[in-house]
Amino acid sequence: MSGTAATLKKPQAALSRPVLIGAAIVAALAVAVAIGGKVIAQQIVSGLMLGAIYMTVAMAFTLTIGVLNFLNFTIPTLFMLTGMVAWGLVHRGFLSFAGGWAWLLALVIGVAVTVVASLIVERFTFRYLKTKHGDATEHAIPLVSSLGFLLIFEHLVLIAMGSEAQRFQIPFKADIHFFGLVLGGAQLLSLALAVAIVAVLTYVLKHTRMGRALRTIAESPDTASLLGVDVTRIVPVVFVLTGLLAGVAGALFTINYGDVSPFMGDHVGTKAIAAMVLGGLGSIWGAIAGGLLVGLTETLSIHYFGGDSVQMVVWGLLLAVIILRPQGLFGTASIGKGKM
Amino acid sequence: MPAEPMLRVSHVVKRFGGLTVADDVSFDVPRGAKMALIGPNGAGKTTMFNLISGVYPIDGGEISLDGQVIDALPARKRIGVGLSRSFQNIRLMPHLTVIENVMLGQHVQATSLASLLAPVGWQRGGRWRRMAEERLRQAGIDVDPDSAVSGLPYGVRKKIEVVRALMSGPRLLMLDEPAAGLNPRETAELSAFLKGIAEDGLTLLVVEHDMSFVHDLCEQTVVLNFGRLIYDGPTKGVQDDEAVREAYLGTRRVATAEGAGRAA
Repeated sequence: MSGTAATLKKPQAALSRPVLIGAAIVAALAVAVAIGGKVIAQQIVSGLMLGAIYMTVAMAFTLTIGVLNFLNFTIPTLFMLTGMVAWGLVHRGFLSFAGGWAWLLALVIGVAVTVVASLIVERFTFRYLKTKHGDATEHAIPLVSSLGFLLIFEHLVLIAMGSEAQRFQIPFKADIHFFGLVLGGAQLLSLALAVAIVAVLTYVLKHTRMGRALRTIAESPDTASLLGVDVTRIVPVVFVLTGLLAGVAGALFTINYGDVSPFMGDHVGTKAIAAMVLGGLGSIWGAIAGGLLVGLTETLSIHYFGGDSVQMVVWGLLLAVIILRPQGLFGTASIGKGKM
Repeated sequence: MPAEPMLRVSHVVKRFGGLTVADDVSFDVPRGAKMALIGPNGAGKTTMFNLISGVYPIDGGEISLDGQVIDALPARKRIGVGLSRSFQNIRLMPHLTVIENVMLGQHVQATSLASLLAPVGWQRGGRWRRMAEERLRQAGIDVDPDSAVSGLPYGVRKKIEVVRALMSGPRLLMLDEPAAGLNPRETAELSAFLKGIAEDGLTLLVVEHDMSFVHDLCEQTVVLNFGRLIYDGPTKGVQDDEAVREAYLGTRRVATAEGAGRAA
C-alpha cells in the first residue's frame, strides 16, 4: 500500500516545478508578443528552432555525463565533422552522380563518418583507460584526451578543407507561412527530428534491456558487471548515440543556416553545455528544456539588446539559475552517478 | 555425496599488498547443500565471496563450479555459468523501480542485439515481467513493483536483492549477510523462502552473523579466521570447536550486524 502512495507522489513532485517554470516562461513570452507583436513572435519561433539544435547537442553531452560520468569534449567537433564532411563531398565533386539529392546523401554520409569518429574516440579515450587503469569514470584523463581529439579533428579538417566558412547550398527553400510567421521548412524538420530522437531515446532508456543496462552502468559500473552486464559492449552504444545526436544536430544546423566551417561546433558546443547545466546534468528533459531556453534567450537578447549581448545574457542566465538551483532545472541534487 | 561438488575452492590464495586475506583456503560446497560461511569481523568472508564471484582475481589456487574451472572468467561471465550473489551492503539501483531491479537479474539471458532493444514488456507476452512478479510474490515482498527502490524499508530492499540474484537462474546462490538488519519475523520468512528454493535443487552459500539463522538454515558450516580456514563440518558442531571458540574470543553469540564499510 505504502508503495502505491510513493509512486503516486513522485511524478507529481517531479512535474510541479517544470510545469510552473514552463508556465512562467510561456506567460512571459505571451506578454512579450502582446507588446512586441509579430516581430517578437517571429523571434520566438526562430529561438525555438535554434534551441532544437542546442537541445540535440545538449542531449549528446547529457547522455555521456549521465551514463559514463564523462564530459565528452569531442561533441562540438563531431557536430562540425558532419557539416564539413558533407560540404567536402559535395564541393569536391564526389557526389555529382547523385544530382539534386547530393546534399542529402552528403549529410547522411557526414553523420555516418561522425558516428565512426565517435567510436574512435571511445576506443582511444575511454576503453583504453578502462582496460589499462580499471575505471575510466574516475579519471580526468578521458576528459583531457577528448579535448585532444577535439583539436586534432578540428585541425585535420582545417588542413583538408581550409579555415574559411563555406556555403552549403540546399536546392530548395521551403518556407511555410503560418499566421504571418515564417517557419523554415528545414527548421521544422529539425524540430521534428529532434523530438523524434528524444522519443526514441526515452523509450530505449525506459523500456528495453539495453536502456536498463545503460541506467545500471550509470548507477554503478562494478555492480552492473557482476550482474552480467557487458559494460565494454554497452559503452560503445553510448558513443554511437553521442555521434548520432551530434551528427544529426550538425546536419540540421547545416540545412538551416547553410554555413559550415571547421569551428562551427565551438559556438554551438558551448551553448549546448550551458543548456545541459541549465537543465540539469544527466537529465534528458533538462537538455530539452535547457536547449530551447538557451535558443530563446539568444534570439530575444539579440532582438532587445543587440548581437554583442548574447554571451553575457546566456551565461548570466546560467549563473543566475545555478546560484538559485545548483542542480539545474530538472537535475537531482546528487551530482555524480545514477541520473538517467 | 556426488563426486563433483557444486563449488570447489582449492588452495586459494589472495594478497592485498603484504596482507594475506585468503591463505590456502580449500573447501567444497556439495551439490544441493545449504552451507554457511562464518567468521569474526575481518576474517575474509566477503573477500572469499568477491574471489568466487570474480570481483578480484586470485593469486593462487583454483575455483571451480560444477567441475568447470571459473577463476579465469570475468565477473560478468560467471553469472552466466550459474553463479549468482547478493551483497553485504545492498547494491540495488536506487533510481530503478522494484521490478526493473529484479528484471536486471535476467539481463544475462539477453544475448542478441534484438533482445537488448526489443521492448521488455512485449517479449514473449511479458513473460519476463510475469516471472519477476511471481518471484517477488513467492518471497513475500508485497510492494508496488513500479515503485522506486530508494524509498523502501531496508528489510524489503534486502529481500529484493535476494530475489534479483535468483533471477539469473543460478545453480549456486551466494548470499552475503542476507538476514542482517531484518527483524525476527522477516528473518524467519527469509529462512523459509530460502529453504523452499533450496528444495528446487539450488545450492546455497551464505555469509551470516546471525547464528540462529545459520542453525535454522544451514546444515554445514565453514569458518574463516584471518584468511585461514579453521572449521569445515556440520553446523551443530561449530560452537563446540576449540579453534572456532578461540577465534571468537570465547563469545558464543556474535553481533548480528557488521559495519557496512568494512574493508573487504
